[in-house]
Amino acid sequence: MRANHLSDDRLIELCMLDALSSAEQQHLSTCARCDARRVNMQRVLEEVSEVATADADAAFPLERLNRQQARILARLQHEGRPARVIAFPAGHAPHEPIASRTRPASRWIAAAAVGGLVVGVIAGRFGHDYSFQRAGISRVIASRAVEQPELRAPVTTGAIREVAASISDDEFLDQLETAIDAPAAAALQPLDDLTPLAWEVR
Amino acid sequence: MSRTPPRRAPAPAGALAPQAPLSKDSHLAAEIKRLVADGERDAARERYGELVASQQRRAVRIAYQYLRDAHDADEAVQDAFVKVFTHITSYREDLPFEVWFTRILVNACLDLRKSRSRRLRWAVPMSATSEIAPAEPATPDPSPEQRLVSRERATEITAAVDSLPDRQRTVFTLCHVAEQTTAEVSQALGLSEATVRVHLFRAVRKLRRLLDRR
Repeated sequence: MRANHLSDDRLIELCMLDALSSAEQQHLSTCARCDARRVNMQRVLEEVSEVATADADAAFPLERLNRQQARILARLQHEGRPARVIAFPAGHAPHEPIASRTRPASRWIAAAAVGGLVVGVIAGRFGHDYSFQRAGISRVIASRAVEQPELRAPVTTGAIREVAASISDDEFLDQLETAIDAPAAAALQPLDDLTPLAWEVR
Repeated sequence: MSRTPPRRAPAPAGALAPQAPLSKDSHLAAEIKRLVADGERDAARERYGELVASQQRRAVRIAYQYLRDAHDADEAVQDAFVKVFTHITSYREDLPFEVWFTRILVNACLDLRKSRSRRLRWAVPMSATSEIAPAEPATPDPSPEQRLVSRERATEITAAVDSLPDRQRTVFTLCHVAEQTTAEVSQALGLSEATVRVHLFRAVRKLRRLLDRR
């Protein structure tokens, strides 16, 4: 009789999936051990089922289910319908048809975009030429600056701007340093002390 | 024990029996499909309300068991029902509606779990307590001691189910909580029936090991 004991898997099948065969029924009626195992497994499964059901039912009482159903149906109401078009800023007559409002607006936007692009290209081109010209002039003036030391004298900001176009980069930086050493800049020194230097900040 | 929920007659081993009579909900789904195909959306929506009411309780039990969060379960169930209606024309009338719906619902739950894990990566935990304490199994007027023991046992059971690997938990939930046959679960999850049985056996063995009180 011992060889006919039901395996764990068979007990699971019997508890969850399949019906008892007559041989199994007969075995369980005579084998107290297998019957106790089956009852025990059945009890565990029932407990799990009860707790799972009770948890979900406590989280979803009837009112919540009704609200959920109403929300589902409300979502379905809007299903398949075209989205509502919201008019761009007020000021237009409300009865004005949407088509007549949107077309000129889109034309203006397109025109503004093209205008911006043209201005950008021209500005870019101009800036490019300007920087090349400046580099060329700087190279020519660099040799002249060596012969004209008065260019190294302290100058005002306005003067720096004028000179910057006609002197080399090194000289321009020299003049900046000189200007920073001037008494007017000394007032900014405490602020400078409070500000961390770029290489100190990680 | 007499409290065992009545299980449906077991399906024959192998593929889902196509000759099995379809449920009332499957017929209703087929009718809704026809209404949508004929352009009668309002009538279809009205009938769909009945289908939602019929499947809703089962759906929230599955989703809640899977997600363990009432808000997420609510959202997953809503998404699943909306998706079902919008894709009702692709429903195959020869298959049980429950299987098709369960598949969509499980996918909705998976999507939500993914988005929740992304959300939790950036969230600061507020408290260790769960949103809703596990409810106690209904018993007539239990004493405070009994209630306490019952609550502890419920927590123990919930933790045991939560400790199952995802696949085992899904299979166990669908077979045991949603009371689907292994054939239906295999259809819903796109797994072979043998694989479903293996996951189910492992899940039950593990639960018994964790919960057995000798």
